Amino acid sequence: MGNNTGMWTLAQRETSRFLRVWQQTIIPPVITSTLFILIFGYSLGSRIKMVGDVGYLEFIIPGLLMMGVIMSAYMNTSSSLFISKFQKNIQEMLVSPLSYWQIIAALTMAAVFRGVLVGVSILGVSYIFADITVSNFFILSYFMIMVSTIFAFAGIATALWATSFDKMNVFATFIITPLTYLGGVFFSIQMLPPMWQNVARFNPILYMVDGFRYGFIGTSDVSLGFSIGLVAVLVIGFGALCVHLFKIGYRLRD
Amino acid sequence: MSALIKSLSTTFITSPPNFFIVDAITIKDLKKIYPKTEALKGITFSIQEGEFFGLLGPNGAGKTTAIHILTGLANKTSGEVTLFGKDVVKDYKEARALIGLVPQEFNFDQFEKVYNILYFASGYFGIPSDLRKKRIEKVLKELGLWEKKDMKAITLSGGMKRKLMIARALVHEPKILILDEPTAGVDVETRKSIWQFIRKLNKSGVTILLTTHYLEEAEELCERIAIINHGEITTLDSKNNLLKLLEGERLCLTLKEELKIPANLKKYDVTINGKIMTIALDQKKDKWETVLADIQGLPIEKMETHKNKLEDIFIHLTNGK
Repeated sequence: MGNNTGMWTLAQRETSRFLRVWQQTIIPPVITSTLFILIFGYSLGSRIKMVGDVGYLEFIIPGLLMMGVIMSAYMNTSSSLFISKFQKNIQEMLVSPLSYWQIIAALTMAAVFRGVLVGVSILGVSYIFADITVSNFFILSYFMIMVSTIFAFAGIATALWATSFDKMNVFATFIITPLTYLGGVFFSIQMLPPMWQNVARFNPILYMVDGFRYGFIGTSDVSLGFSIGLVAVLVIGFGALCVHLFKIGYRLRD
Repeated sequence: MSALIKSLSTTFITSPPNFFIVDAITIKDLKKIYPKTEALKGITFSIQEGEFFGLLGPNGAGKTTAIHILTGLANKTSGEVTLFGKDVVKDYKEARALIGLVPQEFNFDQFEKVYNILYFASGYFGIPSDLRKKRIEKVLKELGLWEKKDMKAITLSGGMKRKLMIARALVHEPKILILDEPTAGVDVETRKSIWQFIRKLNKSGVTILLTTHYLEEAEELCERIAIINHGEITTLDSKNNLLKLLEGERLCLTLKEELKIPANLKKYDVTINGKIMTIALDQKKDKWETVLADIQGLPIEKMETHKNKLEDIFIHLTNGK
């Protein structure tokens, strides 16, 4: 039985939820990115000059954009689902004829929309400070949407797993933030000593940032094909994990 | 041939075939085992379409667990549950579309507006937007909540929150309404208005499964009652038959002084609590003139009689007397 009305209703609810509090959901990542642009791009960046063929400011802006996209998509699903669990209004979805994949798809669509909205807002602000060009719009869109999807799924899985507000922060604080900062947002891995270059290659966010940056500057530190493939595999993997967790009712049903 | 026709006609007259009676809910040997406890030990019963059915039992008896399995909020360990023939696990989407649930605890977004809660929740059931708007207006007006539609749920009184959950369960027009303690913590007036509303709903053809601690509620509303205790159905019968089970009265005497049970009253079921002496009377066996003759001579200060209620049966059955 198709219930696309149900799925769109949930996506609409999730979207209106974050748009209603845009001061808390859209503006903060834009301010953070602007501060990074001012501090690293203008102040410290003036000493770095060029990374390969591009200026340091043009180099870091795609990374900052990706940082905002990742955190926004992750926060949207994780906080919404966790609060729904906490208030028990998640039961409204569980007793309805929505299929598990429809619930996941609706939550993810809203999170991707928030990610893209934040990304576009940061991009808009970036135009004030740098002369940004888009080399490949398709690649840029692919990474923005697919990476948002991965972290929307990760947010769902974390919200299901977490039994307290403290646990909710574990994944963001100890995994996403360090991997993002070390994922080539502020530096090219070519700048690292060979040993650290090898270590950095185990960080999946490196490939996301690098592929996304390719969409702007047209060059990449690592193989673009590998980055595209890895992102696709992660989408499938995290998606399958979420469907499985809903199916078995992991921390959802007694 | 004529013998066959005669036999069939006799059978039809004595027990008409139930061609038109459909089981709305069928539960077969349903078990739910938690790591430390067996919440349901293989319960079996069915509820017919259009019935008003009560599930009674003390706290922790397994009522809410059974309801959660029916509605997809808990996984069963074994057994079979179908709603109008749809399995709640294999055909979960079709099965859930048939149900409206009014849970025990408030489970809506407290910071959302009343109207939006109904709009989104019924949307999950696939009801198109225009139809949703019409139905929300209708159900909110019927429950006296229309004026509150733009208020946040958190600002409503306890009784209104209960009504909001009833409204939310009805916008998608379910064939089965499950009410888990629907009048817990509400005032008498609101309780009566909720009773009136759900009785009307049942008359319109909605099958109702009600769990309650208020025996008065079950006595007032239900046609059939199952009593569940320690995960087992101990009794399942019509309300009238259950009331007949302990047909009788209690004679309560307030004495001027404390006494032991006199020898001539030992043939009755007598209990003494301080100066209060209670004699449980069996209407079939005990004659009033004999009882009055037997209590003559007791230092009686006050005398009252009480008819047995469902509550007495409930206590009797769950205590295993």
